[in-house]
Amino acid sequence: MAGTSASALLRPKLGLGASLALSLPIAALIVINLLPLFWGMLTSIKPESVIFAMPPRFVGFGPTNVHYERVFVSGFAQSFMISLFYSGVAVVMALACALPAAYAFDRFDFPFRQSLFLLVVASIPLSLGAAALLIPNYVYFVHLGLVNTPYALPLIYAAHQLPMAIWVVKGAIEAIPRELDEAAIIDGATRFGVLRHVMLPLSRPALGAAGTLAFVGSWNEFVAGSVMIDAPWLRPIQPLIYSFIGFFGREWGPLTAAATLAIVPILIVFALLGRLIVSGLTKGSVKG
Amino acid sequence: MRSSNVSAYSYIAPAFALLGLVLFAPVFYGGWYSLQDIRYGAPMGFAGFKNFARLLDEPDMGATLLRTFIHTGFSVVITIAIALGLAVWIDHLAPRFAFLVQIIVIVPWIISTVVAALLFRWVFLNDIGLAAWAARALGFGSFQPLTSPAGAMSLLIAISVWKRVGYAVIILLAGLKSIPDDYNEAARIDGANGWQIFRRITLPLLKTPLLLVAIVLTLSNINTVETPLVTTGGGPGDATRILAIDVYERAFVNFDLGGATAMALLMFAGNIILVVAYVRFTKWKA
Repeated sequence: MAGTSASALLRPKLGLGASLALSLPIAALIVINLLPLFWGMLTSIKPESVIFAMPPRFVGFGPTNVHYERVFVSGFAQSFMISLFYSGVAVVMALACALPAAYAFDRFDFPFRQSLFLLVVASIPLSLGAAALLIPNYVYFVHLGLVNTPYALPLIYAAHQLPMAIWVVKGAIEAIPRELDEAAIIDGATRFGVLRHVMLPLSRPALGAAGTLAFVGSWNEFVAGSVMIDAPWLRPIQPLIYSFIGFFGREWGPLTAAATLAIVPILIVFALLGRLIVSGLTKGSVKG
Repeated sequence: MRSSNVSAYSYIAPAFALLGLVLFAPVFYGGWYSLQDIRYGAPMGFAGFKNFARLLDEPDMGATLLRTFIHTGFSVVITIAIALGLAVWIDHLAPRFAFLVQIIVIVPWIISTVVAALLFRWVFLNDIGLAAWAARALGFGSFQPLTSPAGAMSLLIAISVWKRVGYAVIILLAGLKSIPDDYNEAARIDGANGWQIFRRITLPLLKTPLLLVAIVLTLSNINTVETPLVTTGGGPGDATRILAIDVYERAFVNFDLGGATAMALLMFAGNIILVVAYVRFTKWKA
């Protein structure tokens, strides 16, 4: 970081050509990446008559909440809450399993340690294989009677996020000096005491990064959510929005209202923990 | 020593119980299930490789594989090309700009595919949308990619790229940051120009992150159900019917769970090849 800012200071002042070379790609990125978001949010508060106005109207209309009301009477609140529940439980479960596992893999020596860790590393890309894993997962969960229960999705989401979480947290534990564990053990701490009083506090940024990624991944998941769940009261938010596409058709008011509401938790997490997402991805250097 | 092994295993046991339940056991159960005669989702006795053989008899399978290859190939190559350009560019920006640009770049990746595709459709595809209006105002004709097979496939590739470029940029940027500044300085002093530095120093040192990104992108593109489902629905006709959508519809639209499980396991075997490559290139140590 220090190196980058030093070279930035050495750089001469930008000329016209250079500032164009800077601003054109940024403008293009903003149009391609942020405009759909902004336009969707704007559409969601427009009265029906303004939504389809040509030329498009950016200002000069009375904002309305009719689309939000329609979304809420169509079962949105229930899905929103249940998705918060699924994602929250998945994050807690993934981190609670990841921290002791990462600690053991880094600090203990036991038979099959290498092969078991290899299995964890291989599971990182494996849990991306939605289509390939989903169907065996579905028939197995039917067999266990877990389909269409509140347990199915937290278990699936936690397991999908877990390998990456172990990897990221283990990276942080590697950086904690072993002298700290030894000092704690000399002071009479058990292994669990070291985990609780040394590892847990010192790996907090990594736990935050892994947890943030796990939340975003769980909140955004669609396929397992639509396959494992039939009951409306258990249906997570992404399948609900997908069903809205069929239900509302070309009524873009309610559709963009639902999309906006689905983005809100992600934007809040991103605004508060955006740095953690970038750093988590960088540390993990893996998930797609 | 033995008791300390037991305690070590107790630390990793919860993690492996969870992975076993969701990732490993289903593969074994699916293997058994795929060899059964499946009626209405229920196993009715051993059937050998009948479910697999049925897949080979299908005349459309070759075309589906080809479409999967086209979608994944183009998506991965284009994503990496754009991401590499963006990463090198961001790496040269002043830090406060660099962070801002990274945040903008990552936005489509942190938004769910369903919502992203919905918004993308509303702005860029709709005949009454913003892009259509702009195209007409600028004197271009109407833009309706979903009506032609090539247009729909291009669109699917475009959305796949748009969704995942941000991820690739972040990983490649981390790779670029790990290249010591001295290397570039030394080359510059020796008279190398920007392209030569990129070609001879940056690219070779980025080999591992590039390979990892390529593998992860390949895996996620091959296995993506929601992108085609939400944007094109596999159409028009079968134009964007890739393997992932085929296996999904086989199971949950046609309710052929035997055939779908067999096919999913074949895809899983293909995924394993990529996973092995991934593990090889990851600098993992236990």
